[in-house]
Amino acid sequence: MTQPLLKVKNLEGFYGSTRVLQGIEFAVGEGGITTILGANGAGKTTTLRAISALIRTRGEIWFEGRRIDGLSTEKIAALGIAHVPDGRGTLVNLTVEENLRVGAHLRRDRARAEQDFERMYAYFPRLRERRAQQAGTLSGGEQQMLAISRALMLRPRLLLLDEPSFGLAPLIIREIFEIMRRINREEKVSILLVEQNVARALELADHAYLLETGRTVMSGTSQELRDDEQIRRSYLGF
Amino acid sequence: MYNLLQQIASGIAMGGIYACVGLALVMIYQSTHHINFAQGEMAMFSTFIAFLCLKAGLPYWAAFLVTLAGGFLLGMLIERVVLRPLKDAPEMSVIVVFIGLFVGINSLAGWIFGHQLETFPSPFPEKGPFGTKLISGHELGTIVVALVVVSLLYAFLRFTRVGLAMRAAAENAVSSRLSGVPVSRMLALGWGLSAMIGSIAGLMVAPVVFLDPNMMAGVLIYAFAAALLGGIDNPWGAVAGGLIVGVVENLAGAYVVGTELKLSVALVVIVGVLLVRPSGLFGRKLVARV
Amino acid sequence: MSVVSSSVARDLRAGASASAPRAPSPVPVAGFQWRRLWGAGVVLALAIALPFFTSDYRLFQATMAMIMALAVLGLNMLVGYNGQLSLGHGAIYALGAYTAAVLIEHAGFPWWATLPVAAAVCFVFGFLFGWPALRLKGHYLALATFALALATPQLLKHKAIEPWTGGVQGIVLMKPEAPDGWPLSPDQWLYGLTLLVTVFMFVLAWNILRGRLGRATIAIREQPIAASAMGINVPYVKAMTFGISALYTGVAGALGAVAAAFVAPDSFGMFVSVFFLVGAVVGGLGTIAGAIVGGIFIQFVPNIADQISKSAPSAIYALFLILSMYVMPMGFVGLVRSLRRRRQARTASGS
Repeated sequence: MTQPLLKVKNLEGFYGSTRVLQGIEFAVGEGGITTILGANGAGKTTTLRAISALIRTRGEIWFEGRRIDGLSTEKIAALGIAHVPDGRGTLVNLTVEENLRVGAHLRRDRARAEQDFERMYAYFPRLRERRAQQAGTLSGGEQQMLAISRALMLRPRLLLLDEPSFGLAPLIIREIFEIMRRINREEKVSILLVEQNVARALELADHAYLLETGRTVMSGTSQELRDDEQIRRSYLGF
Repeated sequence: MYNLLQQIASGIAMGGIYACVGLALVMIYQSTHHINFAQGEMAMFSTFIAFLCLKAGLPYWAAFLVTLAGGFLLGMLIERVVLRPLKDAPEMSVIVVFIGLFVGINSLAGWIFGHQLETFPSPFPEKGPFGTKLISGHELGTIVVALVVVSLLYAFLRFTRVGLAMRAAAENAVSSRLSGVPVSRMLALGWGLSAMIGSIAGLMVAPVVFLDPNMMAGVLIYAFAAALLGGIDNPWGAVAGGLIVGVVENLAGAYVVGTELKLSVALVVIVGVLLVRPSGLFGRKLVARV
Repeated sequence: MSVVSSSVARDLRAGASASAPRAPSPVPVAGFQWRRLWGAGVVLALAIALPFFTSDYRLFQATMAMIMALAVLGLNMLVGYNGQLSLGHGAIYALGAYTAAVLIEHAGFPWWATLPVAAAVCFVFGFLFGWPALRLKGHYLALATFALALATPQLLKHKAIEPWTGGVQGIVLMKPEAPDGWPLSPDQWLYGLTLLVTVFMFVLAWNILRGRLGRATIAIREQPIAASAMGINVPYVKAMTFGISALYTGVAGALGAVAAAFVAPDSFGMFVSVFFLVGAVVGGLGTIAGAIVGGIFIQFVPNIADQISKSAPSAIYALFLILSMYVMPMGFVGLVRSLRRRRQARTASGS
């Protein structure tokens, strides 16, 4: 089996002196979509923060065959991991276009970067309409689209998505998840998705992990988890 | 009528100075979302460095460059040594540190350079254009300098990659880091640039009010008023604000209440404007969806 | 006027955004706790014992420290509990001081009678100033209050009110003496009465901040929009908080005038406001005990700095300031609380 794009072993994550991740393990395959599920407080967002070095960690994080735990957040972004944070992280006082431009900060290839603006607007036509608007005035769904686009401007190999469905109407959620599927296929971007909306997540992803209070308690393909009795009862409601 | 013109002209002249200092304040706000209460003292310190250069025999333009470089380094040094350790501290604590810097730099300057008033040369010709008595060469020069600085600053923040990165870093450090922006470097750069602008302001102020450690005391509050009146996130606003404050202050002093109360009147006007337009005259209205 | 209930205030706190500037206390104002009563008791006992073993000069300094603590408490209510920054409390202090001085000098008031008048005058001023001013956000409010502080000496010197204020020279007062037969020096007498007033005011503050107004004030600091949606009349509560905050600083001003036996415009410059803010932050915003620490800090640290370096005392003072912000960004009380929490966590986890 080929090496996974991202591999995490024995990862511990700390907020101050509190240990929130108790030594988790998972992997994201090349070109695949993996999802991390769990209830509130299980440590899903913390996991993504740990990968991006936004919190103190212990353990191993491997990306494309090299260890990245211990590197700075900026360096990790430069290596090709783009993180769409929970709450979108919109730069509210900048315009939509400026938000995208910030996403392209690390790009050295000017011409291709300019073309990428057009590609983002093609995925999300609503952003094109609002390109000169102050980003803080966008609706939740539009801000989510903006956040994803900002991350994609990096031309990442791996996209970390933190609860993209949060606070959004079902129709918008569907639209965004559709586009993520397209992005995964067309851009060849692997995705690590953290979601509370278990149904949608299992629909999109091929592999899934279940976290409970900072530990991985279950893993498998999406089909396996969907068929699992316990998952159905606790998380899918039937 | 001529008297009125003279008052207005002199108001515009002082306004140019307020604008320069105000620009430094806007710069630091744009890059850190902090208000640097010690801005005036930093400018004063840089100007003393210029003074030493001039006394050592350097020509003006050389002293100018040394001061700019010195100011830049001073700013970066303060950011790294004094402010970096406080990046997670509550906002009030940072304000107290700024106050500490204000007092400390002022006291240090007095200790190192002494308290006597020194004259400081102006790089501009003495007479105003076409020999007019309305405005001196230095006063006009100050306004030109303010306009040049604001144009460069605006262009830098709005159109360059680094300028945008700086604004983003101040806006949301985490999101910026996730996009690869080196946030701490941006902060240091912002401080350096703002201190540099401050030293330019100091060089403009010194010829008018003479150089001593308390040189900036009278100017600072007006510079604040100018920056806030114009909208703290808008460099052009700081210039417009500075000119307006200068003129209002002068007219109030000459025609309304006399020099004792002109400070109060100017400030009442400013507060009044802010009540009607809380983000300043030209500031961007900050709308946030709840 | 309906006010949020205490349990809701706690819920509002739970939802507070992580990025808002925080005061150290995890609960609005601590309820009745034996430990706190013990601590207050010890401090009070020390304070009462003090006159018996220190010189008059030291007693005078202690009196001033209490007055400073009272002024800082006033500011703290606004900044720490309500989250509004004021750089103008020096002006309010001056108002209280001059009210007392004018009443004593021109209306023959006994000094203790000036306190309630100063309280009322400053309260009204604070309320009226607060109502429009508190619509300004953050640094704009700082500017408006800073302007007030800067304008104060000028206003006090103005010719129109010179007959009352004594212009640049100010007003000289008589230091109050103990009643006949009491074997107390003026400094001891003053100390004792100031102590009484201070204790009374502090207990009153504790009550207010625990009550409806206090919780509403904190709710507004944490989540103004939610507070308003809960039915809190935000402008009224804000103006009320400013009024009470001004009342406290005003009473301190009146006491200060009596203690110093002198008021003059130039003693009320901008640095007074700055000192109060420094005291509030160094002591610990949003805590009552912090005001006491703050008062002691601003009264004594400048003297210590003076002793360390004759030539640049301000530089030493500045160094003290900056260092204390490194060591205790949440103020002294914040530091004590976090140490206590850490010790509790350690014993709880049984490490």
